Parts: sequence; C-alpha cells; structure tokens
Amino acid sequence: MSLEWRLAWRNVWRNPRRTGLTVSATVFAVALLVLMSALSTGMWEKIIDDSVSMGSGHVTLTGPNYLEERTLEQYTYLDAPLATRLGENPAIAGYAPRVNAFGLLSDADVTRGVMVIGVDPELEKSVSSLPDRIKSGRFLEKGKNREVVLGGRLAEILGVKIGDQVLLYSVAYSLESAYDLFSVAGIMHLPDPALDRGLALISLADAQAFFVYGNRISEVAIRVREADHSASLAEQLGSSLDPEKIEAHPWPEVMPDLAQTVVIDKLGMYLMLAILVIVVAFGIFNTILMAVLERKREFGVVLALGLRPRAIFRIVYLESILLAGVGLTLGLLVAIPLVLYLQANPIPITNSEEMAAAFEMVGTDPVIYAKLIANNPILSALTILLVALLAALYPAIRASQGKPVDVLRSL
Amino acid sequence: MLRERFSRLPNGLEGSERNRRILQALTILVALFISGLALDGSAADLQPPPPGSDAKEIARRAEDSLRSARTTLDASMTVVSPRLSAPRVVRFQSWEERDTKRSMVRILSPAKDAGTGFLKLHPNLWMFVPRVERTIRIPPSMMLQSWMGSDMTNDDLVKESSTLDDYSHTLLGLDPSPESNPELPAYVVEYIPNEDAPVVWGKIVAWIEQEHGTPLQQDFYDEDGSLLRRMQFSDVRAVGERRVPYRWAMTPLDKEGHSTTIEIESIVFDAEIDPSIFTKRNLRKARR
Repeated sequence: MSLEWRLAWRNVWRNPRRTGLTVSATVFAVALLVLMSALSTGMWEKIIDDSVSMGSGHVTLTGPNYLEERTLEQYTYLDAPLATRLGENPAIAGYAPRVNAFGLLSDADVTRGVMVIGVDPELEKSVSSLPDRIKSGRFLEKGKNREVVLGGRLAEILGVKIGDQVLLYSVAYSLESAYDLFSVAGIMHLPDPALDRGLALISLADAQAFFVYGNRISEVAIRVREADHSASLAEQLGSSLDPEKIEAHPWPEVMPDLAQTVVIDKLGMYLMLAILVIVVAFGIFNTILMAVLERKREFGVVLALGLRPRAIFRIVYLESILLAGVGLTLGLLVAIPLVLYLQANPIPITNSEEMAAAFEMVGTDPVIYAKLIANNPILSALTILLVALLAALYPAIRASQGKPVDVLRSL
Repeated sequence: MLRERFSRLPNGLEGSERNRRILQALTILVALFISGLALDGSAADLQPPPPGSDAKEIARRAEDSLRSARTTLDASMTVVSPRLSAPRVVRFQSWEERDTKRSMVRILSPAKDAGTGFLKLHPNLWMFVPRVERTIRIPPSMMLQSWMGSDMTNDDLVKESSTLDDYSHTLLGLDPSPESNPELPAYVVEYIPNEDAPVVWGKIVAWIEQEHGTPLQQDFYDEDGSLLRRMQFSDVRAVGERRVPYRWAMTPLDKEGHSTTIEIESIVFDAEIDPSIFTKRNLRKARR
C-alpha cells in the first residue's frame, strides 16, 4: 500500500507544470466555493437578522388568520402562564408582545399614514434592534405615557423634533374614532426606507388604551438563540398551543417574500458554483488522462512484470486524490483565514451611494459581512473530492485495461 | 380550501376509489363555478331596454335624485360588525355644494366623536378633532381608509369622482324585478371608469329605477372583476319631484358580518347654504 502511495505521489510531480496548473485551478475553485458561500451565508444571515429584529422575530405568535388579514380583528392574548413558559424556554432569547395597527400621524398641515406598533419598552429590547436604532432622543420608557418614537424620514416629513406633540388618529377596535396627542421621545434611523418613512412606536399600554383593545395583542415576537432553530421552535410551540386562539409561525411564514428571495439567490449561487466545479472537474480529468496516456508503455511493462491491473487502477486513483487533496488543502488554507478575517472585520460600504442604496432596498445596513459555518468548507472539500474521484474513473479504467502484449508490440 | 380537501383524502384508498372521489370533488367544483357565474351575471334574466333609452341620461337622473346644487341632510349611520356587541350608531349632519365641490360633515353623536368635522375643499379633505383642537389634512393615500369606523371610506365621503364625468356608461338591460326593490323595474347600467379617473373600482353595476331614476342598488367590483361590496337603497320617499331612497345599506362582501346602513332623517334639496359653512374657520367651531 505504501508503495502505491509513493508511486502515486512521485507520478503527481512527474510533470510539475501540469500538476501545478491543475492544483492552482483547484485551489482557486475551493477558495471561491468557500468564500462565496460564506459571503452569501453572511449576507443573508445579516439581512434575515435585521429583518426579524426590526420585524416580528424569528418566531411569531399570532391570533388565527392574523397573517392573512393583519387587522385589529385578529388578536390573541399573552397570559401569565404562556409568558412564563416563553421566559423559561432555553431556546428563546427574548419575547415581546405587540399591538400592530394603522393610523394617521399629523403635525400642522402634514399628515402621513403610518404603521403604529405598541411595544413593551422593556421586553422589546430582548427581541428587536429598534431600541438600538435611536439616533436622537431616547427609546420609550416604562411608566411614561403618550410618547412616540418615529422613523427618521417620517420625523423629517412631519417636520417634528424631540419634544414636539403629534396627533395620532385612527379607528379603535371598538370602531370609535381614536385620537390623542403624543410627544416625540426619540427618532430612529432605520435602514429600510419604507419603515423609516412609516413607522411609529408607542408603548403597549398606550396602544391598548388608544385602540380600546383591552389586553389583546396582535403578536408576540420571539427571538431565538439559534436562528436555525426557528422552524423547530415554531413547531414545538405551535403543537402545545390552542390553535383556535394562538398560532406559532417561523419567520419565513411571516415574511414569505424574504424567504423566497433567499431561496432564489441561493439557487443562483449554487448554479454558478456548479459550473465552477464542472470546469475544475475537466481540469483534473485532463491532467490524469494525459498522465495515463503518456505512461501507456510503463503500464504495459509493469503489467508484463506481473503487477495486477487492480493495483494500476489504484495508483491512478491515488494520483487523482493526491492532486485534489493538495489543491483542497491549499484552497482551504487560503479561504478560511480570509473568511474569518471578513467575519471579524465586516467591510462597510462607504464610498458608493449606489451600492448603499442597493443594500437599503433589502432593508439592511450597507456592510459586507462573511460568515463561516462549519459545513460549508467541508461541503466544498467533499464536492471537489467527489469530482476528482469521478474525473479519475475513466483514465484509471483505461490504464488498468491495457494488454501487455499490445503495448510491448508497439515498442 | 381546495388543497386541504384533497390532502384529506384517506391515503389508503384504492386508486380507482380515490380517482372517483377526486372526480366527484371536481364535478362539485365545476357545478359551483357555473352557479357562481350565474350569480355574478344576474344580468341573465334581463329584458332588452325600451328603444331610445340612453345610459348616460339614466346615470344623470340617478345622480340627480340624490344630489342637487346645494344639499343638506341629517342622517344616522349604523355600523354592524362582529367585534361589536351592539351596533354603533353615528349621527351626522352634512352640507354639500355640488359645482364648487365643497362639502362639510359634522358628527353629532356619539358623545366621544361629537363635534368632529370633515371639510372638503377640492381637492383636499380636512378633519377637525375637537378634543385636541387639531385640524388634519387627510392625505390622498388615506382615501380608502374606513370613515368613522364604518364600511364607508373617506373616498365615499368626499365623492371625489363624478359618476357622470369619470365613467363611461353601458345599458345592460331592464330588470323587471330587482332584488332590492322587486316591485320597481329598473335599468341596469354598467359604469366603467375612464383611464385617468380617480376611481378605485374596476366597474360598478347599478340598478336605476325606470320611472323616476332612483338608484336601487350598486355593485362595486375590483379590477379583477370580483364583487367587493354592494349598496342597496330602499325606503323610497317622494321629496318634491324626486323619489329619494331614505335607507342606504352597504355590505362589504369580503368582510363577513360587517354592514353599514345610512338612514336619512331629513334632506333638503336646493337649500340655502351660507358660504361660510365651507371654511376651515367653521370646521374648527365644534358645536358639541
């Protein structure tokens, strides 16, 4: 066995230039596979995290039909036993009850239709990034009544600053007119322009009073510790709740558009990577086939000397594995540190407004951020290895099938 | 619904048995679809209109029977909704001047809303909220929001579009016995909005009483052609030359258990209206 390994290793380096080219193609491919999937993972993780932390959490508890209608009519309750259960569940990082409604916000002659969210000032911090996105003033505080926090562009449109009074007008759950003055406590900067132009936060207690909503709520936003566990947690919660009163949805159900975009983008990326892998496969195939063809006589001689065809098959296969292995190792050595560096030092995009605008469109901060998850280099390595094995199949069969008589006759 | 029904078929069934059931389900669906078509085109049993009848002229008469150059009215609006244990009743007073496109509405009750006013000075709609003494301009994007918690929209209130100028009219036929008022034969007119008209509907089909031009029913369709809401007029009374429906019942067909009914208490056509009614100053005068 060790003889076969040694023979294979020597054969690999018999034509250093050819091997070098193939190895560098493999290095390039592996590095690209790892880097691209890490960038894609990182980008989507960031977008999804931003979306769930500015939206309805990884898992959302709602009343029946809420997702279809999204009006005050679809409500649920967060009673004490449920709150305790959510608080004690180790998979849950935080939960926050909310009232989602719609209203007119007005100052002097300017009126805007806005999304009004009633949030619990304390619990909200454990779930959402909204409290961290205050650019002036402060977030809502417990015990302070009739305060509002506005998106930056909304404040600009209304022409209000911290301390100003704005009028909120809407229709209450009781179908009465609801109106009250709220003083601006804080102004947020939200990367999603639609939210920045149309989001107003008031306290949950104010919202329940304003909309004559009792202790009803629209949703409970839940932040999980591991984003990957959203679906399983939703299922686990859902199965233990009364479906007539409350439903658990993982974020792809709450934000189907985002979930679809992720899938389409990933498909596109896999397609590109697949093409890359095929190119590398032909490189390896070519190298091994050449190496086999030019050693036709050598194989004839060793066969005549009594080496078994299976051994030749093995040697050729080992060559291909070694070739891929060297490329893989070098590729991973290049890519992993690069990805880890990007992961630790995200690149903010500051010099291109167009790029920044593109990031805003998907509602996230303009930052390039990579994320290494263990199975992505492993998968990349396995893919290249598999490709090398497949590519070597034909040359190895060719090599082992030569008949010594034919070969020696052609000498 | 459909998918659920199919997925609930017991999996252990023999192939042929399952096929039979699927076929059965499909047959029922087709039947439902066809009966749906028949319902939708209640135009099926229409008679041809008398010769010489003009769709636009009929539409004009319908509009004239509800509006005049200057109209004032007192009315109550009853909102029924599954969220309410008892219907919500809103009483209001309204002034309208047609050619200047100005109108004013003042809420009289319930107490919490009393004094709230709406003033339309074309093309703006202003609202005054007495308790906080603020006037708001309602932005165009809010025109389809509910008015005072009812199934009416702000757009219904200001009637920014004209049923005459913003639509083209087609006479579909004569309905000898309309659903809303079986004893009053009515023209059935289809209103298709003009390209650039400020209209949210795909089309409106209206039943207009043959003799006096009283509107009896209006069906509002969205752009995909599905029926969204139905307005039925009844309690037709004579007011001068006019035959006026005193009861307007609106049913949104996409919201189960909701309805809004407006009942006129008194109405004056070609009234004298002090122009100062239509001012922001007057809007801010809350008469509680």
